Amino acid sequence: MKNMRWLAMLLALVMVAAACSGSDSSEATTDGGDSTEAESTEGGDEVVEAAQAGDLTFHMITHSDDGPFWSVVKRGMDAACSDLGVNCVWAPGVNDANQMVQDIEGALGEGSNGIAASLPDPAALVPALQGAVNGGTPVVTLNSGANDYQEIGALTHVGQTEFIAGQAAGERFNAAGVGHVLCGQQEQNNVGLTERCDGLADTFSGTVTTDFMDLDADTSAQQAAINAAMAADDSIDGFLGVGPVITMSGLRAADDLGRDVTIGGFDLTPELLGAINDGDILFTVDQQQYLQGYLPILQLYMFQTNSNVIGGGLPILTGPGFVTADNAADVLALSEAGTR
Amino acid sequence: MAEHDLLQLDNISKFYGNIIALEGVTTSVNAGEVTCVLGDNGAGKSTFIKILAGVHQQSAGTIKLNGEEVMFKSPREALDAGVATVYQDLAMVPLMSVWRNFFLGAEPTKGIGPIKMIDQAKAMRIAVEEMAKMGIDIRDPEQPVGTLSGGERQSVAIARAGYFGARVLILDEPTSALGVKQSGVVLKRIVEARNQGLAVIFITHNPAHAYPVGDRFLILNRGKSMGNFAKEEITQQELTGLMAGGAELQELQSELEEAISGVKKS
Amino acid sequence: MSDTGTADAVVDATPSDAVASAPAADERLAYRSIFQRLFIRPEIGAVIGVVGVWTFFWAVSLNFGTTGQTQNWLDITATLGIMAVAVSMLMIGGEFDLSSGANTGAMGILFILLIKEVGELGGLGLSIWIAVPLSFVAAMGIGWANGVMVERTALPSFIVTLATFFILRGLKLGLSKLLTGQISVTFTDESHGYGFWQPVFAGEWQRNDHIWNSRDVVYIGFLVLGAAIITLAVCEMHFVRRDKLAASGLPIFGAGVAGVAAAIFLMHTTDGVSANILAAAVLGISILVGLYGFSTWRFEPQAAAGGLNLDGSIMPPLLGGLIGVGLASVASFAIDSDNAETLFFPFTVQGLRVVLMMILAGGGFTLLMVAGNKALKQNMTTKLVVSSLTAAALVGFAFVIRQSAEATKFRTELFSVLLFVALALFVWSVLGVRFAERRKIDEAADRTGMKAMVLGLALMITAVVLRHLFVVQAELDAGVNPAKFSVRMLWFFAFTAVMVWILARTRFGSWTFAVGGNAQAARQVGVPAARTKTQLFMIVSGAAWLVGMLLAFRLSSLQAGAGDGEEFEYIIAAVVGGTMLTGGYGTALGAAFGAAIMAMSLVGIQSARWNTDWRWVFLGVILLLAVIANRFIRDRAEGARR
Repeated sequence: MKNMRWLAMLLALVMVAAACSGSDSSEATTDGGDSTEAESTEGGDEVVEAAQAGDLTFHMITHSDDGPFWSVVKRGMDAACSDLGVNCVWAPGVNDANQMVQDIEGALGEGSNGIAASLPDPAALVPALQGAVNGGTPVVTLNSGANDYQEIGALTHVGQTEFIAGQAAGERFNAAGVGHVLCGQQEQNNVGLTERCDGLADTFSGTVTTDFMDLDADTSAQQAAINAAMAADDSIDGFLGVGPVITMSGLRAADDLGRDVTIGGFDLTPELLGAINDGDILFTVDQQQYLQGYLPILQLYMFQTNSNVIGGGLPILTGPGFVTADNAADVLALSEAGTR
Repeated sequence: MAEHDLLQLDNISKFYGNIIALEGVTTSVNAGEVTCVLGDNGAGKSTFIKILAGVHQQSAGTIKLNGEEVMFKSPREALDAGVATVYQDLAMVPLMSVWRNFFLGAEPTKGIGPIKMIDQAKAMRIAVEEMAKMGIDIRDPEQPVGTLSGGERQSVAIARAGYFGARVLILDEPTSALGVKQSGVVLKRIVEARNQGLAVIFITHNPAHAYPVGDRFLILNRGKSMGNFAKEEITQQELTGLMAGGAELQELQSELEEAISGVKKS
Repeated sequence: MSDTGTADAVVDATPSDAVASAPAADERLAYRSIFQRLFIRPEIGAVIGVVGVWTFFWAVSLNFGTTGQTQNWLDITATLGIMAVAVSMLMIGGEFDLSSGANTGAMGILFILLIKEVGELGGLGLSIWIAVPLSFVAAMGIGWANGVMVERTALPSFIVTLATFFILRGLKLGLSKLLTGQISVTFTDESHGYGFWQPVFAGEWQRNDHIWNSRDVVYIGFLVLGAAIITLAVCEMHFVRRDKLAASGLPIFGAGVAGVAAAIFLMHTTDGVSANILAAAVLGISILVGLYGFSTWRFEPQAAAGGLNLDGSIMPPLLGGLIGVGLASVASFAIDSDNAETLFFPFTVQGLRVVLMMILAGGGFTLLMVAGNKALKQNMTTKLVVSSLTAAALVGFAFVIRQSAEATKFRTELFSVLLFVALALFVWSVLGVRFAERRKIDEAADRTGMKAMVLGLALMITAVVLRHLFVVQAELDAGVNPAKFSVRMLWFFAFTAVMVWILARTRFGSWTFAVGGNAQAARQVGVPAARTKTQLFMIVSGAAWLVGMLLAFRLSSLQAGAGDGEEFEYIIAAVVGGTMLTGGYGTALGAAFGAAIMAMSLVGIQSARWNTDWRWVFLGVILLLAVIANRFIRDRAEGARR
């Protein structure tokens, strides 16, 4: 590992188009358990074979881009598979619904014992998953798909409802005695982010102003936009950033203005957790995506071995969990270990 | 032929593989003279220019500059030896001002150490002066070259070549894209450059433009020399005949008269 | 503007090939007035845009003009502007760099990885003293690689740098995750050399810590002095100088100066509406008297101003304009300004009222200006009458705005600005009647005028800068927002100044225009085209490095996506600033102004509390207007020189 790091640093200096293939091996060895071995199939899918002679194979087919969020989900899946002694296939679709449909059909062809899938594009994916259910393969949806899992006939859905997460944030602001919250978005046209702000408006007792600030790629502009919005309205005394980067921008904008603003955020980054630990930010909403990897496998396992269905047909919510000053330090340590 | 011409070419040939682009071409030009190179499209004129300009090197034959045998390996070498080429597309940047174009690539600078800036006042003054020597009154040296007429642009290019120490000036089809009147202007510039002591090689496919200004004529056809005549050895009729045959004669005749009268008027 | 007719006539009289005809000396020098000369500068579109967008947001938002928000939009202008200036140079050189946005983030991340402490999730732990030059060398390497690849492959830079963009983007994400397991990298102030380098890249000037109670005296003094010098400079360049100065004008000038001083004193010592109106009246009359005296002393009187002649070409626009302004005023009173009900999507009643007022008034004043131009073709007396009527309409409209300022977002200060514009218009046309306008080149006067103009501008800029940098106790007591001016603005100003100088005054600058305008031609005359382009790519990459440093020290952390996609904003800013997409034409200064326009729109829309869904519409309209205006200016620039 040490050598790898120096080698990669050299590559960065020369800025040659480098093959960053090192990342795969590092991930596979982190959580694989005692005696797992990684091997790649042609689709880039990874098969984790447990040492125990489990003959169940589950497929987790998501729109994962293998970014920081999804790598935590994958670690959750790996841990479940290792704990339960089953075989799991991780198929990241990288936001490509067609790829995901192909992966689903491929899984059925291999005689999968259960499919866990996310539903970024229900129109494309629902028919394919319905086919799986009709053919007798149990399905669990995860992350996105709360509105469609029943139509598919899935056992359950594991994820966070954005609206409910926003509602919970609203309650936090109520408890903090805030009167006017600015809900800042880092993307336009993102339904999930809008639902977070809508949920906030639903439970929050004061005023909510929702606005697009600027993209995460330009934090200077983001900060300036929040600064201008806060300066234009003296009554704003709360800020909810619906992503971690914009939350930090909100904190800097409030600092620049010298305003006492109560700040809440979404998701986890080390800086955000540090700011919570320092008391600059009140809370961040954590959707605990590790569970979104772990629980679907557990559900499929329980169904196949004991015909159990968890949650009575209702979705299983992995969030909103909250990180506040009380637990920020612990979460920070876990986040560095890659499970939060 | 003079005993010691400024530029003398002997039996120049150029082969691209087994294709003969130019074969056995001989001519010369002296200071204060104009040698016209005539030929129809595909006659080998551009190969001829490229050899003289240092873009290509001849496969056989010798070039003598001031009696010394030379071989230009790059355009820069040719320029340094005093052989300047004004290309058909003029090597001008239309959106840039006259003075910047005039000095492009060889701007006079002033300044201390590594911090050097263009000496604008000097550059503008020289550009205006040099153009005045050509008989052109530049209204505003900051004027973009693109706003000049075609004849004026040719004049800037010729003045530039002269200022930067050219002894031999090669003009590639300077009149081909111009109207009759504009062509007259350019012909007048050629005469002025000659009078300033430059040796001019004027490449054209138009004998009517060549004859009034030329002292010597080299006629090319399909890469071969059709003859190399001093002015007294050939009439314009014969030149035209050699060039294109009788078919276009009438047409050329009228164009010719127009051009000559245009020159006289100015 | 006034002698357009004459200029055109001269152009027409010039044969298409002037050279062929006998040289006719100076008559062919079409004289261009000071306004015409300013108007054909390539930056002028962006300058007008900056003034227009600023005034617009200043008028509709109470916050936009404050020091806090000025600092806010300048802050984005700095990073956007550094890149836009560099990108505009590359675009002038005929190339694009789509990797420039990702490069800013890449440089910041590389730097952080170099200095981040060694450990399980660490970097190299180098000293900042080593990391700064090392990352700069890397930036130069990227620029060099871009340039060499574009030159060697002869592929469009669009494709080559798109590849670089993907590579950088992937490297940022891949290396961040590989080395730190996160998509964002962070460093702390414990790195060696932080104490020195932090102020260099992220130093801040806390306005509220710098109290200077006599600031406003200096501010007003510099501002008035600067404005006066500029006014006199414009006169110097506009009117015919006397051979022998007429001393009789000097006492009148002195009286005017005294009057202006008295008016300012009056304004500062008294309070209340009537005292203010009195002071404004004294100020207006004094300015007129002073300028009249100065002009009597220095300029030739007008031979004959001519009689009033409101013919058929003037009356329609004049009446139409007056009616337009009148209707705008009626609309202002007739429509309820408090009604926030949505009339039809997306307009509320009050929004529609503002739009209606702006269209009517804008159209009206445009017509009045048309009438003014037509009157100028008649004679100066007619011009004076039309200008006076325009000024009167302005004054009237100013009172309307003042009335509605109570209820809507319009600022009360807009009232005084409109009054001042009306005054300027009136004074200028009075002087036009009395003194002879110059029609010939007078280089000595132009030189004096230009120097005075630069001095005046410098004074005014100093005044504004001082006002924003220092705070007075009264403001602190009133609880003014703190404002932190970042050192990045100095970087931006310095970088822009150096690039403007390089473009205008060095061989490299000339070659940049040449390789963008006609690369083939540039090569033929010995310009090292490949080297020039490569160096331009290195300038862009160097700018990206600078922005990367500014970001890294500001945030102490960067996420892998930082800067991705921003390259188009740089290109847009450059184009708004007058750079031609096809290369060979443009200015670095214009790109800096273009960046300011974009930054002001972002902050302005928030300041006005508009729905940001409309932000892109606004930006689109600005882009469109800018491109059309720049095209117009370029055509005029070439036309005016013929």
